[in-house]
Amino acid sequence: MKNIFQITPRNGVDDFVAVIEELADQSAQAGYYGLQDANLVLAEAIRELQLDEGFQSDADLSALVAAWGQLIEKFSDAPDQTAKAMISYLRHPCLKIPMADDEFNMLEQQLFSDANAAVDANESLGELETNAADKASDLSEQCLINEQIIIIEQLADQTAYEGLYGLQDANLLLAEALREMVNEGPANVDADFIKALSGWAGLIGSYREEPKRGAEAIINLLRHPVLKISMGDDEFAMLREQLATEVSVNEFAQEVSGSDDPAELETFAVHHGNPKDGEHTGSVSRVAQELVDLLLLEAEQVRFYLQGISIGDNESMLNGLQDAGEELERFANMAKTVGFEGLAQVSTHIILNIQRFIEDIDDFTSERYDLLLEWISQVQEYLPSFHESNAGQLIVAGLTDEQWALSMSFEELAAILLQIRTESTEVGNQTETARVETATDEDISLALPDDVNHELLDLLLQELPVHTRQFSEAVQRMQSGGSEQDVEVAQRAAHTLKGSANTVGIKGIAVLTHHLEDILIACASEQKLPGRGLANSLINASDCLESMSEALLSSGSSPHDAKAVLQEILDWANRIDKEGIPDSEVDENLAETQISSGNTTEAVEKLAPEQSQATFVRVAAEQVETLFRISGESIILNSQAHESIRRMKKQMQTMQIQFALLQQLGAELEQLIDLKDLTGRSFGAVGTGFDALEMDQYNELHTASRRMAEAAIDAKEISQDVGKELDKMYEVLDDQQRLVINVQEVVMQTRLVSIATIAPRLQRSLRQTCRMTEKQSELVLVGENILIDGDTLNAMVDPLMHILRNAVDHGIESTDERLAQGKLSSGRISFEFDREGNNILVRCRDDGRGLDYGAIRAAAEKRGLLKPDEDMSEEELRRFILRPNFSSRTVSTQTSGRGVGLDAVRAQIVNMGGTLTLDSVQGQGMTIELRVPLPLSMTYALLTHVGRYRVAIANKGIAQIVYSAAGEVVIEGDKEFLLLDGVTYPATRLMDLLHVPDHRKSQRTYGAILLVQNDDKTTAVLIDAINDSMDVVIKSMGHYIGKIPGYIGATILGDGTVTPVLDIPELLRVPIRAVKGVYAEPIDMDEPDSMLPTALVVDDSLSQRRALEQLLSDAGYRVRTARDGIEAAEILVQFQPDVILTDLEMPRMNGIELAAHIRTQEKIRSLPVIMITSRTTQKHRQMAEEAGVNAYFSKPVRDEDLLVKMQILMELAAEKKGKRLIG
Amino acid sequence: MQENKFKEIELASADVPAAQHSEAAVRDEPEAKVDPVFGIHIGSLGFLVSTAKYCEVLDKIQVNPLPNIHPWVSGILNLRGNLVPVFDLRMLLEEGAGDNKKRRLFAVDRDDKALALWIDSFPEIKDRATLQALKELPSLPQLLQRFIIGAYEHQGQIWLDVKFEDLFKTLGRHQYETEEMAI
Repeated sequence: MKNIFQITPRNGVDDFVAVIEELADQSAQAGYYGLQDANLVLAEAIRELQLDEGFQSDADLSALVAAWGQLIEKFSDAPDQTAKAMISYLRHPCLKIPMADDEFNMLEQQLFSDANAAVDANESLGELETNAADKASDLSEQCLINEQIIIIEQLADQTAYEGLYGLQDANLLLAEALREMVNEGPANVDADFIKALSGWAGLIGSYREEPKRGAEAIINLLRHPVLKISMGDDEFAMLREQLATEVSVNEFAQEVSGSDDPAELETFAVHHGNPKDGEHTGSVSRVAQELVDLLLLEAEQVRFYLQGISIGDNESMLNGLQDAGEELERFANMAKTVGFEGLAQVSTHIILNIQRFIEDIDDFTSERYDLLLEWISQVQEYLPSFHESNAGQLIVAGLTDEQWALSMSFEELAAILLQIRTESTEVGNQTETARVETATDEDISLALPDDVNHELLDLLLQELPVHTRQFSEAVQRMQSGGSEQDVEVAQRAAHTLKGSANTVGIKGIAVLTHHLEDILIACASEQKLPGRGLANSLINASDCLESMSEALLSSGSSPHDAKAVLQEILDWANRIDKEGIPDSEVDENLAETQISSGNTTEAVEKLAPEQSQATFVRVAAEQVETLFRISGESIILNSQAHESIRRMKKQMQTMQIQFALLQQLGAELEQLIDLKDLTGRSFGAVGTGFDALEMDQYNELHTASRRMAEAAIDAKEISQDVGKELDKMYEVLDDQQRLVINVQEVVMQTRLVSIATIAPRLQRSLRQTCRMTEKQSELVLVGENILIDGDTLNAMVDPLMHILRNAVDHGIESTDERLAQGKLSSGRISFEFDREGNNILVRCRDDGRGLDYGAIRAAAEKRGLLKPDEDMSEEELRRFILRPNFSSRTVSTQTSGRGVGLDAVRAQIVNMGGTLTLDSVQGQGMTIELRVPLPLSMTYALLTHVGRYRVAIANKGIAQIVYSAAGEVVIEGDKEFLLLDGVTYPATRLMDLLHVPDHRKSQRTYGAILLVQNDDKTTAVLIDAINDSMDVVIKSMGHYIGKIPGYIGATILGDGTVTPVLDIPELLRVPIRAVKGVYAEPIDMDEPDSMLPTALVVDDSLSQRRALEQLLSDAGYRVRTARDGIEAAEILVQFQPDVILTDLEMPRMNGIELAAHIRTQEKIRSLPVIMITSRTTQKHRQMAEEAGVNAYFSKPVRDEDLLVKMQILMELAAEKKGKRLIG
Repeated sequence: MQENKFKEIELASADVPAAQHSEAAVRDEPEAKVDPVFGIHIGSLGFLVSTAKYCEVLDKIQVNPLPNIHPWVSGILNLRGNLVPVFDLRMLLEEGAGDNKKRRLFAVDRDDKALALWIDSFPEIKDRATLQALKELPSLPQLLQRFIIGAYEHQGQIWLDVKFEDLFKTLGRHQYETEEMAI
């Protein structure tokens, strides 16, 4: 084999081919046909390359063949991986193997089966390998040296250009020595030395930076015994001196500008920038990667326009070139902005060329067209690997083609190449400098933004402890050993926290987790666990996060050491940006960091501004409910006690009368005994010798009667005392009642929220709808500071959103139309909130076109609801639009016309016990009035009887109570009226309102008349009598009894009996009769929103999930959510949404896996899947696309973009489905 | 009351000597498994109520009638501060109102999920295993029929197993007809 390597490089190609063909033969003999094929394909490719004019260097080829030899050597150790590597080797663009993807795949399969066969026939493979390895290793050493010689000689030339003659000498000496060595044969080649040699270019690189030290290293290498350079010590010393003194900085520009030969330029690019020299290789920072992705997108767009061109068709060529030129201009601007100056210059040059092509379109040949396409492909190839130092050469080399209308001078090309070279390191570096160095107070602030979304904040507060715990657990595991999985867990937690904190707007958490995530990403990509120092800092950070989380839940101020911790993390992040993850032993810098951060802590403690925020305690809603219920019970018990005392006082009064009577009787008895001396005669005369008048004679009767009189007085006094005590007790109970009522009100207030909390949602929905309908409109809220029950407000959001979307879509006219009608260009929608008794009243007005009665009439006629000549008032026509599924529009729009009209809004309002009224003036706008009752906990009520039923009438709407004598009830026809103070009121009986039969025979008399205000009229309601009046606590009638119209609820009276509490205005509004004899409709009737499109949102972050859920439900979707792919897959078994939105990274099953899973399921395979993620790289995007994701959005996503995309995808899916059904 | 009975049943099954269990197992005979269930009589029918539910028989408790509701809702009672709706399934079965003085109230579940039923006699404890499943349902009002899970027969009495919650939620839902405005 020796002779192969001794062949001169010019003829070398044949020999390389021969070696490979020999390998092919041996593979075939051993039965490895895949390997044989691979070798033959490669041999063929190398032959082709030889014929290629552009291919000039055997050194390239030798490197290639050496690598191939190594691959064959590895084949038996790791057949699977090697087979893959072989294929990707063969796919290398510089080999230009004309094989399609599937052919490559087949070859790969064959290699796999070879590998499997090898298990059975290990020996023959072993033999083959030995041969291959021998050849390859000889070949590879020889090749390396040849390659190095060429590089070194070129370096020598290059340094001569720069005037670095010492360096030129060093290079020439080395090259000469190597040639000698090669001529002596491979046996003399020292493998270790070869390795050392490969670092030569690096050595020169470092020499340029530090001449003294570099010179020493260069001389040391030259003195290597293997080289056998015949120079004396003094000669070496001279060379060292020369090297150390000749310093220049502008080497590269000089060298290139001095050259005339384009090929040489390219050669420089190939060799000087060879990754092997270790000069410029390195990974790309994330931000740089994102910029590259953006540019790639633009480039793809340029390619798209170019591909649209059909050669020969002048119009298509002109348009295509025009579009491509414009797009390229954008690309150039963008490239310039993000720091690819060189690329921007090249692009500008290409734009000029395109302009020339356009000017002279007849000369735009297919060669020129191919040139453009090839150039853009080169750009697309260049961008992902821009950080590799030889990356830009193709773009620049491509410009030398003669087909270009405008050429570029060699100097210009060289300058651009230099520029591109510089960028290869700078673009990455920009992001490193982007990281701040010092933590500021603002960076640790936990202050909530003014327009904080409380719902999202609540979610964050729920999530925070969970993720913080996950983070700190993972970090702790890392500290005590741990694995890469822990890094991943911690990174994910940090990522989620960052996302949530950003969504809510809590900077302190967002900033800290941002830097933490970067550190952990660095750990993951370098596959290093954090060292002790870094782990300690991470633990500090996790503690800080925990304190921040607690702080948010309680006092709201940042933990005192937050700034120090953030500084520590920043220091680490900055250090890692520069140096990568340090090895675990290196901790000395950290000590400094800690010391300095210790100082900062003190400073922060002094400087930290006092942030005072209200303290919050989070309590389960159920607990508040219980508290509320118990306070209600207390009120009931209190009123029972009140009732009891009232009775006792009454009894006490009776008792006092009795005592008075007793006292009186005692006095009478005493008098009788005294005056009439009934008994004196019988006792007094006995042997005293005195007349009765001479001396009072007393006996037992006297004593007894007197004692009785005294006892009667005592009893009376005691009863008075007891009465006083009862009065006191009554007062105490009164106080207690007030307290308990206060308690209930306070508990009730915990459920109250300001209407303003839904304002951002309404405004956002308005903006979205306006953008989608391309109309202008503003929303004004009036009375939004009113506090109402949170549940009621939540239930009102949907109807309000719908009214709002409806108003913009159907009501407000386009700007032109409005201006033509003399209206302001921007429409005005106002929602006015007001409290009306126990109702919340919302007046939704718009100044749009109002209801089109003609269209309603036409639609009603079309549906057969109305005869063409039938007379109908506007009010009656208005009722039509409240009918289910009634729409005057023929085409449903994306914005509001999803088959859900005002009827659904009305159904929702009625479900809540409210009412909806419409008013509209054509051309001036529409007003919708909603009245929704607020939940009542207590009311003042009048007790009365209706037939055999005892009822409590809430004072709601009662304007006046009059006794029947005050007015006169007159009957006109079958209707009754009340005449009172000269005013006539319509009258009705409560009995009739409640459909209670009147069994009394005699003419009814009414003890009392209630004047009830309902909407804008007053009605007299006749009742038998008012038995009592009191505050009552309203209770729900339990789980099983639904809303009964006219009932607010029921109450327990002091005696323990239960009575319904009536809402008279409601009874008056809709007189209703319970259906008797007809069974209730089944409960599982369709919900009004069953027509809405459905979406499944899959995201592991609660806040992200909820934010999306809110966005979609505001946009009129029915939304279900899942926490990860597994849960989503489970839901999909039962529920088939119209569209799926998923995150990429999730535990258990990620978004890619979920998409892939969906595509395998027969039923849901065509379901549109949209991915929303913070990942922006092309790689992720491509992976998603391959898994079957229909649309890929990188955060942040514009709401409208998402909604429009969803709509388009859903329509496409529906079309496909339709076609399938027809098919 | 219910709780005691429930315990008794549990005890009864637990009291079976261990030896018997093992013997039964050895002989490979089907194990005598007691599946207790409350049986309540309403009109001509019997209904089964799971013993897993908290149940009690109420005595001397006032039922407060409500105007303008379905006839099968007799009213509401105050059970230790909770409002409990009272259902009369006889009205649903169209078997006419029973004599409330002779009937008893049977409360199922507790707190706000509690409901009460008029029953004609004290509940019995039945063993579901001894009940014979009917192949065909007896003719029943359509509404009730929808909620029947199973029907059994034992000593001439029909026992129905119903979807408890669904049935009573449907019965408690207020169906009404809107009239023209009275005024």
